[in-house]
This record gives sequence, C-alpha cells and structure tokens, in this order.
Amino acid sequence: MLTRIKTTSKDWLLRAKNNRLFISTLSVSIFVILWEVLPRAGLVDVSYISQPTRVLAAAFEEMFVEGVFWGHLYVSFIELAVGFILSLLVGIPLGLMIGLFRKARYFLDPPLMALWSTPRLALIPIFIIWLGVGVESKIAVVFVGSFIPIIVNTVAGIRDADISVIQAARSFCAKKRDIVIRILLPTSLPSMMTGIRLGLGRAMMGMVVGEMYVSTKGLGYQIMQYGEAYRMDQVIFYVAFVSLSGFAITNSARNLENRLLKWKEG
Amino acid sequence: MRKLARYAPVLFGVLSFVFIFIVWEMTSRLQLINPFFISSPTEIFKVLHEQIISGELFENIGVSFTEFAIGYGLAIIIGVFLGLLMGWYKVVDYALDPFVWTLYSAPIIAFYPILVLILGLGKPTVIAITFKLAVVLVLVNTASGIKNVDPLLLRVARSFGAQNFELFFKVALPASVPMMIAGFRLGVGRALMGVVAAELFGSTRGLGAAISYYGGLLETSKMLASLIVVSALGVLMTQALSAVEAHFDSWRTGPET
Repeated sequence: MLTRIKTTSKDWLLRAKNNRLFISTLSVSIFVILWEVLPRAGLVDVSYISQPTRVLAAAFEEMFVEGVFWGHLYVSFIELAVGFILSLLVGIPLGLMIGLFRKARYFLDPPLMALWSTPRLALIPIFIIWLGVGVESKIAVVFVGSFIPIIVNTVAGIRDADISVIQAARSFCAKKRDIVIRILLPTSLPSMMTGIRLGLGRAMMGMVVGEMYVSTKGLGYQIMQYGEAYRMDQVIFYVAFVSLSGFAITNSARNLENRLLKWKEG
Repeated sequence: MRKLARYAPVLFGVLSFVFIFIVWEMTSRLQLINPFFISSPTEIFKVLHEQIISGELFENIGVSFTEFAIGYGLAIIIGVFLGLLMGWYKVVDYALDPFVWTLYSAPIIAFYPILVLILGLGKPTVIAITFKLAVVLVLVNTASGIKNVDPLLLRVARSFGAQNFELFFKVALPASVPMMIAGFRLGVGRALMGVVAAELFGSTRGLGAAISYYGGLLETSKMLASLIVVSALGVLMTQALSAVEAHFDSWRTGPET
C-alpha cells in the first residue's frame, strides 16, 4: 500500500521484496525445511510432528502400496456430493420463497436464524441416533451445514435488488412474473453464488467431523483411527489431503463465480 | 395499525416457535414418531429444570464458556497483531498468505488427533481448536481493514508531514476498526463451533461433552436439552455482537458506508 523508496537498498532486494510469488515460495520452503531438519537434529520429537519425507512415504503407502485410500475417498465424496446437492435442491427454492414472500419470511426467518447461530456440528450425535452410524447421518450433517448459508445468501440477494430498476420495469407495465424472472433472479445470482461457495466449505467441515465422530469408512474415519494409533505420518497425510482439497474446491468455486459474474461489471 | 406493522416480525417469530413446539409436542404425544427419538418440549423443559436445580447446567456452561473465552481471547490478541503486520508490511503479507489461506479452507477440527497427541485430552485441546478456528477470520479481516484504508486519507496525512507511525496509529488503525469488529463477530460463531465440536470428541465436561455423553447413552431428552442451551447461547452471542458492531460503526459517517 505504501511504496517507500529507499535509495540505499540494492535494486534486486527491492524487487524481490515486492514479488509475491518469490516471498510466498520462500516462506513455504523455509517452513518445510525446518519441519524436516528440526526432528533430524533432535530438537523436536519426531513422533509428535512427523516430517515431510515421512508424510510423503505414508501417502505413497496409503495410495499405491496398500491402496486403502481410494475406498475412503470414495465414501467421503459420495457423502459430500449427495448432501450438497440436496442442500442446493432445498436451499435455493426455499431462499427464493423467503425472499419473495414477506409472510414466508416472517414465519421462517426466526427458526432459520436460530439454526444459523447454532454450531451445527453439535447436531451430529442426534443425527447418529436418528440415522445410524453409516453414510446417511453424514449426508444429513453435510446438508444442514451447507443449506443455511445458501438460503441466507439467496434471500439477501433478492432483498438487495435495486428498487429503482423494479420501479422502472413497473412503469413500463412489467408483470410480477417478469419482474421476478428478469430482474430479481439475475440480480440475486452473485449473492447466491457466494452462499453456495460458503456452503461448500461448511459441507466439507461437516463431512470430516461427522466421519471423525462415529463412522465405519471415510477420510475422517482414517484420521481418527490413525490418531488413536499414534501414527502421526498417516494422520498428517490425511489432514493435509483434506485441507488442500478444501483449498482447491473453494478456490475453483471462487474462480467459477468470477467467470460467471463477468457480465455484471460491464 | 402502523404500530402493529412494526411488531409484526417479532409477533410472527414468536408464533413460529410456538407452532414448532406445538407440532413437536403433538407428534410425540400421539406417537406419530417414537418419543424415544424426538423427546418432547415438556420433557426437555423438565430436564432443564432438574439440571438447573442440581447445578449441572451452569457447571457445563461455565466450563464451555471458560474454554471459549480463553481460545477466543487469544485469537483476538494474536489475530489482530498478525493482521496489522500483514496489512501494513507487504513482505509479511506475502510470507504468511499461503499458510493463512490453507488454514482458512482447512476443516480445522481434523487437526484434533494431532492436537490431542501434543496437548493431551480435555481443555488445552479444546482451547487450541477454538483458537485456530477463530484466529483466521480475525486476522484476515484486520489485514484487509488496513489494506483498504482510503489512500486519499493517507496522502493527506502524509502531505501534512505525518510520520510513518503516525500514519499507522492515527489514520490506518482507526479506519480499520469496523472491519476488525466484523472479523470479531464472525470469529465468535466459529469459536463457539470450535468449543462444542472439540468437546464432542474428547472432553468430559462442558455442553458439547454433555451432548456427546447423553447421546451415547441414548438419553434423547437430556441431549436435546443441552443442544437447545447451546443454540440459545449462540443466538444470544451473535445478537450481542451485532449490537456491538452497529455501535462501533456509527461514528463512521459519509458516503462510503
């Protein structure tokens, strides 16, 4: 934000300091090197924090030697996909309804707000009692986690529509149906997309935590199993995998969002 | 008539909850769904009453709240500090950015087994998870608050001979307070989630632990009672923080808000 020009510092240093890619790569490499070297030098106990090389070895073993990884990935993916698609199917129509009809809003807003402020992971035990320890209870957790942001953002999108545009449309004798389809739906799209992206993050959290709590298969199950067996290399591999795929998924959702909304700026 | 319109949201809100409770009670009484699974509002109020008398409820709230306060307090201190550094110094921003974003999109509760191995079961682990969940939001918001200070204000201050530290303390810092507070509010929700979720796993006391414990015993009424308390606390805290946020935002007048 402030470019301070120091004539004394060397030119390359100044350029390096302003290069995002260079600095980021440097800091990540330092982190990885320290992580590898500190346990080797005997400064930290390797059984607590593992090591990059050990994690890679564990990854290789899980994925290609024993091959157990893929089955767990598949189960987690199914839970995530089914729960998330359900939340889209319920969240968007419900959000539109609440946004468009004031009566529906009065009636549904309070319980939704209560659910919005409740830590939804606290619902996991009750879902286990209702739906069992299998895939169904995790789908429910994913669903409850992600459908609230989708509803809330859809409603906000509709309510933020520009009043003057609606009035202009009315002056030109637009019917209510036209206003909804041609004005309210398109203008609420950006906010809806944000809700979907936020929902995806919540969905992943729900999936992992649900599996960690009680389950028989899935990435979260593996994290818990290896954690209880004190096998740090495998735990870190699974945690890193889940974190990086979370990063990848939310990032690509953001890119998609930006690409779909390009027309808005024009 | 106008007065009625103003109170309509509240009225409908109350009606909505009354309606839910009545349907819930009827379904349970008429055995449409086995009461073992869904309990009933009257059962839950009975349990809450018992727990208030025996002191169990307040003990659980106390434990959870202490963990929340420590984890969230640490998150604010460290999040604001790092956020200010990241907002003000580009180098720090570039260096920490990859870590912050990974942490931001990572399901942090997955770190639970790692933390248990390092910190042991119980309070420290719960606090660590609470901290980790809340700190990212505080940090990101503080940093973007500083980065998005109106450059015009900075240039004016500079023209009048302000030093760097004056620019920071008198212009950038006050201007970024609303963003910071927004981060605090978002952090509260995440911290609460952290406390409850972490307690679900390996704690013996606290609201999350109670939910998990009674869930394991299949005591649905007691479990739902704790769940309702958690929910009520969540609503209370979010409302309180929205009020705080509105208060801190009110001094900012002008076209940009």
